[in-house]
Amino acid sequence: MSDKFDAIVVGAGPAGCATACKLARAGLEVLVVERGKFPGAKNMTGGVIYGPVLDSLFPGAPGDIPVERAIGRHVICLLSDRSSVSLDFNMAGSGDRNGYTVLRSRFDRWLANKVEEAGGIVAAGLRADDLLWQGQRVVGITAGGDEFRADAVIAADGVNSTMATKAGLRVNLSPENVNQGVKEVIGLPREAIEERFGLTSDSGAAIHFLGFCTRGVHGGGFLYTNKESLSLGVVVQLKALMESNLKSVDLLESFKEHPTVREYIRGGTTVEYSAHLVPAGGLRMVPRLFTDGLLVAGDAAALVLATGRALEGINFAVASGIAAAETVLKAKERNDFSKESLSVYEKLLADSFVLQDLKTFREAPRFLENQRLYQTYPELACKLAEEVFRVDGKPKKKLWQLARQEMKGRVSIWQLLRDGLSARSSL
Amino acid sequence: MNIIVCIKQILDPEMPPVKFKIDAQAKKVIAPEGIPLVISPFDEQAVEAALRIKDAQEAKVTAITMGGQSAKDAVKHVLAMGVDEGIVLSDEAFNGSDSFSTAYVLSQAIQKAGEYDLILCGRQAADWDAGQVGSIVAEELGIPVVTLARKVDATGGTVRVERVIPDGHEVVEAPLPAVVTVSSELGQARLPTGRGIVMAARKSIPVWSAQDIGCDVSRVGAGAARSEVVALTLPIHERKGEIVSGETGAQAAVNLALKLRENRII
Repeated sequence: MSDKFDAIVVGAGPAGCATACKLARAGLEVLVVERGKFPGAKNMTGGVIYGPVLDSLFPGAPGDIPVERAIGRHVICLLSDRSSVSLDFNMAGSGDRNGYTVLRSRFDRWLANKVEEAGGIVAAGLRADDLLWQGQRVVGITAGGDEFRADAVIAADGVNSTMATKAGLRVNLSPENVNQGVKEVIGLPREAIEERFGLTSDSGAAIHFLGFCTRGVHGGGFLYTNKESLSLGVVVQLKALMESNLKSVDLLESFKEHPTVREYIRGGTTVEYSAHLVPAGGLRMVPRLFTDGLLVAGDAAALVLATGRALEGINFAVASGIAAAETVLKAKERNDFSKESLSVYEKLLADSFVLQDLKTFREAPRFLENQRLYQTYPELACKLAEEVFRVDGKPKKKLWQLARQEMKGRVSIWQLLRDGLSARSSL
Repeated sequence: MNIIVCIKQILDPEMPPVKFKIDAQAKKVIAPEGIPLVISPFDEQAVEAALRIKDAQEAKVTAITMGGQSAKDAVKHVLAMGVDEGIVLSDEAFNGSDSFSTAYVLSQAIQKAGEYDLILCGRQAADWDAGQVGSIVAEELGIPVVTLARKVDATGGTVRVERVIPDGHEVVEAPLPAVVTVSSELGQARLPTGRGIVMAARKSIPVWSAQDIGCDVSRVGAGAARSEVVALTLPIHERKGEIVSGETGAQAAVNLALKLRENRII
């Protein structure tokens, strides 16, 4: 057997599988190595694939893609310790959908199957240990004590990318650039989910929380509906978490106890628990994306959009994976896998939403450092709503008076204006 | 030497108990979603026994499994360990087969696979623990069987087996072809190598149907089952706590001892 492939993809997540699928369909000999026992075994998401990115690879999506529910309802929910204020965008009844909830162990396995159907080789349970070099050029990998050679290696090995680090394309993660997500999948009967969230049989809800869910720590909470379970979790910036001396598991526990959330998950049983790191540094964290013989895609390249509302990662992973495949195909035509030849990759990404969104929201990570977002404002919103809706037999005040009264001691008008302007320019 | 190893996929014994569900009415286990099946550990050790023989002499090892969609994963795993060929037996007609019909199907496949000298099985599957298939395969093929092996040597037309018995082991020899069932005392099965995994991922795995192996369909599936599951229940774990007290520590200890005696624990 020859150990030389056209391309070796490290990591069978959405980025790696998208690359491998496209390359295999073009007739290239592709090897995907995945260290998990099966594709998806080690992968985690909060739960939503946004946008139409899968359509380009799998026309007619969702088709047979194992999605849970199509998102028809988006909610942003601000939490104080005992109440909540929500902005609820609901199109569940209209038939319009945008994005899908997924469970990764099923979804990633399905993706890897598509790679195999296209003729790619998926070797699970095999960890890529190192890159294989010839001078300054990457010419393959070593895995399980054996060497495997290829014209191009695609590092799609996730947030802690060993391959990109070994290639010297990126430095180690720093705590201000990375979030920690913890999640429980909570089993509930299908009918209970549809009734509680006002959903039809195929539609789903995505709820994002800000405030008490992280007890004021930089981050947020999420709740997504699957077919017969809910994905509930918190995502917090690692640096802020370390400084707070709190643990993300404890945050998740108190989040579950919040009166608003408690009702959503009532009667459910936790069937799965997971934790993972998420790149959240935006553009400033994106490493060099290629070198001779090597491309970096997905979380490995920190291609995740964090705007404070949600984290978009899988669509960025798939899009970058497809761009990596297109780059390799072009390089193959020229039979030139040098840095110069592979620089097409960056151009493709710069022309797509991938780098454009990261550029547009370049300042978002800095804006999100603002502590008031996670405590002051959610509390203020809840308190203000409480005052607005309370009828207590005393003479009422006008809205602006109430607002001033609640802002007192929390935030000054100038701070509020400044944060507003800063939000305008960064979000 | 041609060695056949029969392997079975089972529910992962290490999966969280909360995921283990049964349908008591239908007396069936409900396969949990998202948790892949694994090879029964005894079967993995049977593969190891075969590979140890192959390490020492010229041999071809073929793995056979009967199963559904995911059966190929089991075959891939043993191919990655060093097995030469793998065959999946899959047919709707096989659904609900008991040990007898399973052994019949395996023996039909073994005969179709070609010449065989040694057939290795795990001592029992780690899900139902019936431990019958190996012996019935031998019966179907009309060849000897040695059970509970902790060491298997096969040379010159004979197999020499160290067989586990309650207070040690006995050495049994049998003429080939023969069936040997392997016990956990054989030791750890080897891990796949990098090259093995890639080679296995490349290999095409034939799937044989009931017709392909000339099965008499009246002998397979739920209809042909000779055993019947009378009831299937989940074990209930009850914990009781009781604090035994006494005026002094010594008195409490005496009370505890009495209590334990009363409950026939000591």
